[in-house]
This record gives sequence, structure tokens and C-alpha cells, in this order.
Amino acid sequence: MNRTLLTASLAALIATPALSHYGMIIPNDPMISQEDGRSVALTMSFSHPFELDGMTLERPASFNVTHEGETTDLLGTLQDATVMDEQGYTLEYPLERPGTYIFTMEPTPYWEPAEDAFIIHYTKTYVTAYGDDEGWDTELGLKTEIVPLSKPFGLWEHNVFQGIVKLDGEPVPYAEVEVEFFNNADATVPDELMITQTVKADANGVFTYAPPSDGWWGFAALNTADYTLPQDGEDKAVELGAVIWVHFEDWTGQ
Amino acid sequence: MIRSLGLAALVAAAPMGAAAHQLVVFASVDCESVVVEAKFSNGRVAQQGDVRVLDGENTLQSELTLEEDGTARVPLDSVDHSGGLVIEVDTGGHDNYWILTPEDIARKCGS
Repeated sequence: MNRTLLTASLAALIATPALSHYGMIIPNDPMISQEDGRSVALTMSFSHPFELDGMTLERPASFNVTHEGETTDLLGTLQDATVMDEQGYTLEYPLERPGTYIFTMEPTPYWEPAEDAFIIHYTKTYVTAYGDDEGWDTELGLKTEIVPLSKPFGLWEHNVFQGIVKLDGEPVPYAEVEVEFFNNADATVPDELMITQTVKADANGVFTYAPPSDGWWGFAALNTADYTLPQDGEDKAVELGAVIWVHFEDWTGQ
Repeated sequence: MIRSLGLAALVAAAPMGAAAHQLVVFASVDCESVVVEAKFSNGRVAQQGDVRVLDGENTLQSELTLEEDGTARVPLDSVDHSGGLVIEVDTGGHDNYWILTPEDIARKCGS
């Protein structure tokens, strides 16, 4: 009895490890073949993806698609939706031609009192259409982004994913990259430290990660902005996240 | 209908391109023509190749060759496209196909 009380008290007192926030753009399939149809269905959210803990995603500041070097504003086409029990968005986007379509979302600044900072996660996901992967390594020139060195689709589970962390177009040496699984597979952890894994980039801003399973994995490279935003009459720091979502496929061999 | 028919027939008949780079075939309709595009997965256009156009019953409708820019145009009124079309491209070492469904054609032509 005493032990139970003590445990409960401690649990209430001890701060839990900070969970990572992720902007999410998740397509129904990252590789759309002609047999799959002529469109891709996207779901946008803001969450702690390992715990499937949704948060409100306010209407983003921008939502675009880039294909063959042309960027199109899709913000007005987002449909309200409930994702992980919170406000999110969906979009059915027609894929008119082959190639790689890169969907990007810039959210409005999210005030996180627990971190005493704003969070802006520039989020992107690459989708290939009709067997043509041209454009898979496209750099969009976002404020901050992970430029893929590995094709960001068509990876087997356990393959490594490599990318360059960039901020204002320049590699970020030794950038910290948080990695989290979109846990729709009931994965559990032996320790909460393993909900979010962390790797660091090398001196050239290049990081490497190999996931233990198939599914959607989110990579978030975090940096502090060189500007602040006001909150309650004070200037507060802004965390800039470069987020990319990558799907790893189940290995089919024996 | 054409999708399943075409796929079943083609999967049975056409060997998959076995090479480090694949042939990517795409076809679209501008209401006057079927525009066929063929390129390799490394981005290079297929400068030569045979194009076969089949209808939804897998009956040959037209044969032509790729232009040097990797495209071919088939006048829409020269083929029976009521049940959709299957476009096959064979470059010799590589082959692949694209299926134009009746919906694909109607969406572009409003018919």
C-alpha cells in the first residue's frame, strides 16, 4: 500500500521525458503505381507519433506540392479532419504525371509552455508516382530541411536512411536529429528514453539511421531560430524543425 | 474493366524489364491524340522503341515507333478507345506499358 502511494506520488512529481512533437504528412502509399489509381490521399496532423497522441494542428501557414520543379499552393484545398482525436487535415491530390511529388507544410508557430518556446516544424514527405522516381533528391530551399541522400521511399526495413540537415541552405554540423516511429504497430519500449531516438549529424550535416522495422519513421532535425517571437510580453525562442517522413517496406525474403 | 483485362493479359504475355534501370512508360490524352512518353529510370529518354496500342479487348489498334525525344503520338480518332487503351513500349532490352482507362480519356476530353 505504501509502495503504491509512493509510486503514485513520485509519478506525479517527476516530470516525464519530453516527448517529441512532429508535424506529419502521411500518404496512403508513398509509391503510387498506375494500378493504385490516379491520386494520393494525404493525412496531416501534429502529434507525438509513437504514442499516437494527437495535438491540434491549426490551419498551416502554407501547404504546397512540388513536382518537376514547379511548386503549387494547396492550402485552400485542405479538408478539415479529426486525426488522433484532434484537429488535422486530409487531401486527395490527383497525380497527373509520373515523377516525385514533394508535399510540404509550414505550420503556424506552436507555443509550448513546457519548453518556454515556440515550435515550427517544416514538414515534408516525398511520394513517387507511376514508377518514376526522378526528383527524389530534390532540395526545396525551405528555411530548414533534411535533404535526402537515400531515396526517401522504396527502402527496405533495416536499410539506412541518410540525409543532410540544412538551415538557411547551409549544412548544420553535428545537428541533432530526433527519430520517432508512427506507432500503428503497437510497439512498446523497455524505457521511455527509446520513444524518441537521437542521432547527430557529422561535420557535414549528414546523419544516418537504420530503423528496426517497416512503417513510417519521422526524422526531425532541430535548431534554434535566429529570431524570437513574443509571448506574454516577452521574447521567446523558436525551435525550428526540419521534418521528413520516410516509409520503410517490410522485407519479403525468407 | 480494361485495367483488369489489360493487366491480366499483359502480365501473362510481357516479360518484366530485367535491368538495372527500368523503362518508364506514360501516356496521356490531349483530346486529339494519345501522347506516349518513354524514358529510363535514370532520366534518359528512350530514343527508339516500338509502340503498340491495344484496345480494351487486347486487340492491336496501332503500331508505330518512338521519336528521338522518347515520345509518340497516336491520333485518338484512329483507335477504338471506348474500352480504354493499353500502350506497350518495347525498346529491345526493356519494355513496359501504360493503361489509359476510359475514365482517363473522359477526364481529359469530357466525353
